[in-house]
Amino acid sequence: MGERVPQNIQNLVIRDFCEKNNLLYNLSASEYAMPRCHKILDQVIKELKSLDGIVAYSVFQLPEDNKKRYAVINRMFKKNKIFYFALENMTIKNQEDLETIENIWLLKKTLPNCLKKI
Amino acid sequence: MTNYLNKNEAELGEKLLKNGYVISKQKDLTHLNYIRNLIVEKSSKILKISKPKDKDFENFLNNIHKKLSVKNLNKFRLKLIKYINDDKDFKRNYFYSAKQPLFALVGNELAMQSRVNLSIQLPKDSSSLLPIHSDIWSGDSPFEVVVWIPLVNCFSSKTMYLLKPEKYKKIHKNFHKYVGQSSLDFYKSIKNDVEWIKINFGEILIFNQALPHGNIINKESQTRWSMNCRFKSIYSPYGDKKIGEFFEPITLRVASKIGMKYHLPKTDD
Repeated sequence: MGERVPQNIQNLVIRDFCEKNNLLYNLSASEYAMPRCHKILDQVIKELKSLDGIVAYSVFQLPEDNKKRYAVINRMFKKNKIFYFALENMTIKNQEDLETIENIWLLKKTLPNCLKKI
Repeated sequence: MTNYLNKNEAELGEKLLKNGYVISKQKDLTHLNYIRNLIVEKSSKILKISKPKDKDFENFLNNIHKKLSVKNLNKFRLKLIKYINDDKDFKRNYFYSAKQPLFALVGNELAMQSRVNLSIQLPKDSSSLLPIHSDIWSGDSPFEVVVWIPLVNCFSSKTMYLLKPEKYKKIHKNFHKYVGQSSLDFYKSIKNDVEWIKINFGEILIFNQALPHGNIINKESQTRWSMNCRFKSIYSPYGDKKIGEFFEPITLRVASKIGMKYHLPKTDD
């Protein structure tokens, strides 16, 4: 969504989140920099078998396209894996969590059309 | 200007403009009792002491300094903040305790701060001070209000202060004169114009965070316990604190959901 946080800062936030939530930080994966590219995320989901889930830096690293975003989350559901988002301190475990995150996504996409200047 | 606010809503708005704050007395204490019970329960758990009976909650909180040292205060506070924010009904009760005035003052499609803050001010403790500030000066949006909930009766130095709106106008106009001053000097120059908010458990405070506010060393013999949380209209401008990372939508209406998902039909193949 057009925002960039240095990778070392993202790692710090993820590590801190894992520590606070008693999660074992196993391996780190970095997405390719091309816009709308989620190849690494696809690969990580494919190889999730031995892991509990994924800790992403932010909810806004999910695909911007609504259908693609649903597809990614559904794949996680089917594999019974948990999606965590460190910056927002959020988790997708069930349909209710999915709706919370979808609302935030829809708002993020709508807010540029609303009053912006303070 | 067309204005269809009802009499109560209009009066409440006038009060916020004139005084910089409103205090709403709760007729039904269900939500505040839920919050206070949770705080007492989790505090007892952290301190490894037995939970007091309901009638002793006020006394327990007021005298927590007898069981908790300044040295351990911050660790205790952080643990407690995590416990209460992890409770699935805590934030809902926080919102419901202020729902009516929030709808009147802010609107009915609201975003709420994701994590509610807790302030514990032990008597004579200088480590938990909040120097004079306006939240807007540090990146909050002026479209937000703060809902401040006391868990004990707060008064004199056991409460917070707020600069009166009519006095702030003068400060705002001459702000350049205060640049370079320390926050303490700034406080000293306005301390005669601030209002110390007297508020009891059972009441909630909603204030304009654009007005300079803060606290001083608690010189009373009891501990102050209060919580604060920001609310704003979902579609109003955001400051540095954004939707998702700091705010979450809590009363999104169905028409908004329909609108946000709507796409015009495609006219080509």
